[in-house]
Amino acid sequence: MPINKKAYRRYKVIDACLRNKMRPFPTIQDLIDAMEEKLDVNTTVDTIQKDIAAMKLPSPDGFDAPIKFNRSKMGYEYTDPDFAISGVSLNSIDIDAIKEAIDIINSIGGSRVSEKFSHAVEKMLSSVREDLSPQARDRKIIQTDAITDARGFEHFDLFFSACRERIPVNFVHYSYSKRKFKTITLHPVVLKEFENRWYVIGHSETHDQLRTFGFDRIYGPEILRKTFIETPAHVSESYLNDVYGVFPLRDGEREQIIIHTSPLITNYFRAQKIHPSQHIQINKYGDALISFELIPSMELARLFISYGNQLKVKAPERLVKFIESYRS
Amino acid sequence: MKNRNKTLLLPLNIVRTPNSNLVLLRAVLNKEFTRIDFGYIAIDYYVRGGWIRISSETYLRVKGEQIKYVLTHAENIPIAPEVHHFESTKDWQYFSLFFPPIPQHDCVIDIIEEENPDDNDFNYYGIQLDMSAAEEVIQH
Repeated sequence: MPINKKAYRRYKVIDACLRNKMRPFPTIQDLIDAMEEKLDVNTTVDTIQKDIAAMKLPSPDGFDAPIKFNRSKMGYEYTDPDFAISGVSLNSIDIDAIKEAIDIINSIGGSRVSEKFSHAVEKMLSSVREDLSPQARDRKIIQTDAITDARGFEHFDLFFSACRERIPVNFVHYSYSKRKFKTITLHPVVLKEFENRWYVIGHSETHDQLRTFGFDRIYGPEILRKTFIETPAHVSESYLNDVYGVFPLRDGEREQIIIHTSPLITNYFRAQKIHPSQHIQINKYGDALISFELIPSMELARLFISYGNQLKVKAPERLVKFIESYRS
Repeated sequence: MKNRNKTLLLPLNIVRTPNSNLVLLRAVLNKEFTRIDFGYIAIDYYVRGGWIRISSETYLRVKGEQIKYVLTHAENIPIAPEVHHFESTKDWQYFSLFFPPIPQHDCVIDIIEEENPDDNDFNYYGIQLDMSAAEEVIQH
């Protein structure tokens, strides 16, 4: 006879109590209290005893659960400490770790992980839901500035698979700055998120070089059956690691960038490096000269501009001029 | 590459003349349909960029054939008399037109929205479809 849903939920509570390392050897009363707390139902001693007996039945009627009453501890236990009715052995410490991970994933889930991953998270959530109190379930501990409904995010799964399986993709790209459409064939290497926007980076056949494309400007991606053009690891690593952001300025080479910051702005750079190459030379009044070894990028220029007159770019000259033209 | 069971993609990037704000981007050919992808860029001439639509009588013809492959449906562009209004002169629209399947061999096609077109109609003539430049699409 199939196990009904109500009974299954009670079994899950009993199972969780028996695996709780913080409160081992639960009594019948402990189990009744747990039912009330987790399921908001009043349960009798008789029901709990029947549930335990049912759980001990061999599969498929029960779970073949090795439940035993420990007379010295005056409570129930699993004689096999790794047993769990879900088939996955999770103790209370494992579940706590999963809850924390789910909390993080859930808080960034809306836009940063694909629908497929969200389903997996939801499944994971439902499997441990009965271990959570309603308050713990609903309370959001972590908040990120993830944006939902970003245009182009529906392409995440396709590009993720294309990067993993090394499959070329043809798509239409619209350039905001040039106001032009172009058909691109890309051999994608990596997906990158920066400031809540997703980008795909790969070898563009159209440009014959490594290029970055924002998901929001991509239309009609089609995966192609053709030989994948590999990007050497040192090329992609340099492209990814030597750039702050995603769009290097044209023909950009890694070079020394020097800025002067006011005492106020210096604090932010001291608190968090924007790049591993960052070096700060603080002056006696708290202002600083800060240097980086980076390929100048749009995002770096935008960051510098965002600090207004509290930050001045000293070198290279090309970046100084770019920022001046951007401001005017 | 010439197997009718395959889906073939031809990058084209053909800009309309003289009004260059329409570009024919790709042709996708398989045994079920012919898809032509376009990009349209709104212009300053019209208030808030104006509007676009496609005539239901739009058809595709293959040079040397008498058959009219009439538009079956469209994506991201309304079929007349419905219109898509732009919000500004800086807007853009990616859209696709679907026609019955055409033969998968080298050919020249025309896309005709109006028999007596003006510069704003979505007419294209003499589009060369070179199957040696086609890429095979993996269905997903």
